[in-house]
Amino acid sequence: MSETYADDYEPETVGGVLLVAISILSGILVLAGLLYAAGTSARHKTALAVNNCEPSMSPSGLPCNTQQMVISEYNGIVNPASKLLAADMAAYNVNEGRHLAAAEAALTSEVAAEQALDNNLAAVAYTPQNYANAINLITIAFDTGANTPGAAILLSPQATSIANAAVRDNQALAKLTAQQARSTSLTQLRSFNSRVEADTVAVQAEMKLIGKTLAAPITAAQEP
Amino acid sequence: MATTREPYTRYPPAPPTGPYGGPDTYQPDPYSDGAIDTWQQEQEPAGGHEPQLKAQRSRVDEWMDKDFKFGGSRIKRKAVALILLGTPALVPLFFMAPAFFTMNEATFAGSVDDTLGTGAELSLFICLLITPMVTLTGQRWFVPLRRWYGILFACSGFGDMLAAGLTDNFAGGFFGKVAGHVFELMGFMMVMLAIPLLITGNHWAQRKLGKYWKRLQRITYVIWGLLFFHLVLLEGFGFQNGNGHNGSGNPGDGDPIFHQRLYEYAACSLFLLALRLPPIKRWIAARQREGRNWLVWVVIAPIFALFIFGMIFSINEEIFKGFNSFMEHPSAE
Repeated sequence: MSETYADDYEPETVGGVLLVAISILSGILVLAGLLYAAGTSARHKTALAVNNCEPSMSPSGLPCNTQQMVISEYNGIVNPASKLLAADMAAYNVNEGRHLAAAEAALTSEVAAEQALDNNLAAVAYTPQNYANAINLITIAFDTGANTPGAAILLSPQATSIANAAVRDNQALAKLTAQQARSTSLTQLRSFNSRVEADTVAVQAEMKLIGKTLAAPITAAQEP
Repeated sequence: MATTREPYTRYPPAPPTGPYGGPDTYQPDPYSDGAIDTWQQEQEPAGGHEPQLKAQRSRVDEWMDKDFKFGGSRIKRKAVALILLGTPALVPLFFMAPAFFTMNEATFAGSVDDTLGTGAELSLFICLLITPMVTLTGQRWFVPLRRWYGILFACSGFGDMLAAGLTDNFAGGFFGKVAGHVFELMGFMMVMLAIPLLITGNHWAQRKLGKYWKRLQRITYVIWGLLFFHLVLLEGFGFQNGNGHNGSGNPGDGDPIFHQRLYEYAACSLFLLALRLPPIKRWIAARQREGRNWLVWVVIAPIFALFIFGMIFSINEEIFKGFNSFMEHPSAE
């Protein structure tokens, strides 16, 4: 065998050994994956049972109450509403001194946004299913020794009192804004400003409190 | 008698105006080094001198090169095949289109990273898959897909970065949001590195840059490496927080391991990396010269199966999250 051929032979052997080694490793991993996948159905059922969900309630067969889902649901309600309210308030500020009809239109839109926020928040936060989910989140965290997910707070009795206050104050704000929208003059319209601002600050503080509780784990003393 | 052979990992030099990604050209890559490939370069298969493989290659490639009649015009079979195989690259952008047209910030904030980010990852893997497939099959008709998936990788990655910068809840302005955390910085660097590749991914730039073009295109490998760090920093190694909270979005379906993006990345990358290692390429070339390509397939099969395994779960995630994005009800997982 020539030297050139021998030189070629050695790298080929190295490549073959390397490839076979990688192939064996891959084969083991694929087999392990297939064995693991064989238990998917049982693990899925367990996961749903732990989360107190029925498979039919969960799209794609996934559980319906993970922490992220609750947070996302909350953000999905609050963020668009905040955006709408900010736009309406800006429109009102522009028109309050010179254009009664436009200012009233902005206020009417504001009232609609506030009422929608109330309805959506109440619908999400206080259903029996979500309350049960919150208890489950807390129980799972307690059993595993992990921190209680902040999302559970939104649905827990402690958070309910905060959220109740937020919804109540927001309803009062919507009522006041609706009265303001019925003003017959610009002077009358502006006379509501200070009261509306005070109510808005109160609602914002309560909403911030809810948002804050979502981001942080609760302490044992707060658990229901 | 001494046997001397030409080194088979190198190819004879071709004119510098050689074909790059052109649909009708199958000449060797003028800058090929036998181990590296990029978005556009075209390489000979590992066993480029093996007559049987060459014949096989030409059979399939020639078949693909033939026209067929459709509605009064003649269309190349290859063109249809490339369109069919290239269309999935548009799916991530398609999934995000309703949210884009309705300016649905909640959908962007909730799932753009999953939809476009995973889409970019899949495009990168398919882009990197072309050369190993050329090595194994000896066919070249699908080589233009490398450029297409490279471009769509850059587009999806850029869209992901843009949406993250505009809608994420992280502190800071646009740059704070896209580069304020280390994992984001990795993603940001990937997108920045993709820009020169995108700009130079054409024949004109290739001619102008000459031999430096290929060096530039090797940035693809840096992007591939940065993706590893991006995923590690984003989700960890998948076992720090116990079974079920492994950093991959709490899938909650009892299969956290399969949803771990880093594992999916590793499963896919093993095949893509192995088929680029020079000793392995030499071994494959030798077997192909001997007419024992079946042996190559037998040995490669488990590695390829692992690649498919990883891809299936990435594609599953893309479809699941993407469909939710399309319906503008972003998944919270």
